[in-house]
Amino acid sequence: MTKLLHVLFAPGLFTDASVANAVLIGTVVAIISGVVGVFVVIRGQSYLGHALGDFGATGASVSFLFGLAPLWGFLGSGVIAGAGVDVLGQGHRRRGRDVTTGVIHAFVMGLSALFLYFDTTHTSTTGAPMTILFGSIFLIDPKLVPTTVILGVLTLVLLLVLYRPLLLSSLDADLAKARGIPVRWVSFLFMCCMVMAVSQSSLVIGALLSTTLLIGPAATAIRLTKRTGLAMILSAATGTVATWLGIVLAYDSFNWPPTGRGWPVSFFVTSLVLLFYLISRFKRQQPVVARRPKEESSMKEVVKHGYRMEHNS
Amino acid sequence: MNIRGKQIAIVGGTLGLVLAGIVGCGTAQSTPSQTNNTDAASQKNTGSAGNTSPIQVVAAENEYGNVVSQIGGKYVDVTSIMSDPNTDPHTYEASPQTAKAIAGAQLLIQNGLGYDDFMGKLESASPNANRKVIDVQTLLGLPDSTPNPHLWYKPTTMPQVAKAIVKDLSAIDPAQASYFQDNEQKFEQSLQPWYKELAAVKKEFPNAPVATTEPVCDYMLEASGMKNMTPWAFQAAVMNGTDPAPQDVTLQKNLFTQHKIKVFLYNQQVTDTLTTTLLNLAKQNDIPVVGVYETMPSGHTYQSWMLDEVQDLQNALKNHVSTETLS
Repeated sequence: MTKLLHVLFAPGLFTDASVANAVLIGTVVAIISGVVGVFVVIRGQSYLGHALGDFGATGASVSFLFGLAPLWGFLGSGVIAGAGVDVLGQGHRRRGRDVTTGVIHAFVMGLSALFLYFDTTHTSTTGAPMTILFGSIFLIDPKLVPTTVILGVLTLVLLLVLYRPLLLSSLDADLAKARGIPVRWVSFLFMCCMVMAVSQSSLVIGALLSTTLLIGPAATAIRLTKRTGLAMILSAATGTVATWLGIVLAYDSFNWPPTGRGWPVSFFVTSLVLLFYLISRFKRQQPVVARRPKEESSMKEVVKHGYRMEHNS
Repeated sequence: MNIRGKQIAIVGGTLGLVLAGIVGCGTAQSTPSQTNNTDAASQKNTGSAGNTSPIQVVAAENEYGNVVSQIGGKYVDVTSIMSDPNTDPHTYEASPQTAKAIAGAQLLIQNGLGYDDFMGKLESASPNANRKVIDVQTLLGLPDSTPNPHLWYKPTTMPQVAKAIVKDLSAIDPAQASYFQDNEQKFEQSLQPWYKELAAVKKEFPNAPVATTEPVCDYMLEASGMKNMTPWAFQAAVMNGTDPAPQDVTLQKNLFTQHKIKVFLYNQQVTDTLTTTLLNLAKQNDIPVVGVYETMPSGHTYQSWMLDEVQDLQNALKNHVSTETLS
């Protein structure tokens, strides 16, 4: 019996301080990413989410250069570059936003290449690229835990404040404008929420993979339910389970070949997210479309009861 | 129109800030990646025969470069590629200047074992049948699977390298063979204090438990009879810039908190959040720290650097004193 337990949970899992840290931060990140992710999926902004993670990588590589905590670099450059995308993409429909994201994304990644080169050639921070791109959940400075939790709570609060106007402007920007909602501000503030989610996620599983927890769990949840609120809860739960299992498996992998090395957490988390998504696809459903309410009254209904997706039969 | 103007202003401003940042970094990062060996440079063209130009030598690491200039004296002009004590040689990227120096060299000296792979690439980019190459790995007959590439910390390495240098320099400039020979004798003599020190530490503190961040000075620890308690997988991960397993990190941290080690050898040139955490742990738990280097710190010769490292180790074991930086 103990043997089986040791296979499932390698010795030391429950007493290891770095595992406890990883679980705590991982949970916060999974919840925030899951909740924000539902809106990202509804608004069709997966690519922007991915780009924001890469923008953050540039900031993080700068912070390595000056010996700051990568978190601040992730946040700072994410907001700056995101604002650039937002401003450049204004006045166009979605396609315009998509193109400006692409253009800025490429430039900022070029900057990232430059700063990572500086990191590795002018400082002794050897692990900068691996840490920035693929995350180091077990090596996060315990001092960052309170900061992460506070930022996470702030993001959630901001999202709750934005909830109704955001929902409206995500479904029908013209109608939202007509009702006096400052659509531009709403979109900018939501982008800030995305930056927060993606930055924290980058710390855990790296900038390249930060959208894993943003898109996968949300996409899974939206396949399982038609209610926005419930989708948020399901999405956060899916992400959390994937993160926890990922951490346990990474810890256990110390005893797998090649023994004594351990596999990266990122690999397990991304695999589990994909697995959950594939499982959710077994639920038979037609392609979904957002019902576009034609009248005022049904719009009120949407806001009251949440976003419902209908089968297109 | 108005909106457009505002857009341009905002975007322009953002780009301006970013570019200003780059320029700022550029000026801050003005450490040259190449330094000409001043000993050789100052003695240049002071040869008895004024018409002979010195032998052009390029060393991948400045510790090898230093030995070449000790043996070649006024007849060599040595360029060392990796000599910045603030960077990690493992992540070095070759520049066009490096390529140019290698193309014009008559003698090249490199470590091998994947430590300076860029040398092989640049050599094949500018083939030269007359060029002599000393690859220390090949010289010592080490297989590619040798886990620890920091060969210059091994007491037996440099005498063999020195003999190979004499052989190649004499082939290039046969007239000075006896001069190179004499210098090599002097060099081997000057290694004696280091050997004595290693033996003394080994005798006085047999099997003293120590911890490292990565394997930079493991050969020296072996020679001085220390017992390195840090798991190899942990050392390899830090050296290669990947994440060690959490189990190993915990094991390593416990060495400090449970006072299982007498000295912590900290590589000043391969650092990250983890190594800094360990450095703080050492200070909190009153464990003496000895700073070790990948490349030769300034103001040193190879032998004075090696001697300093062992003396610092002895000082930590005997008097509980930390020596974090050399030079």
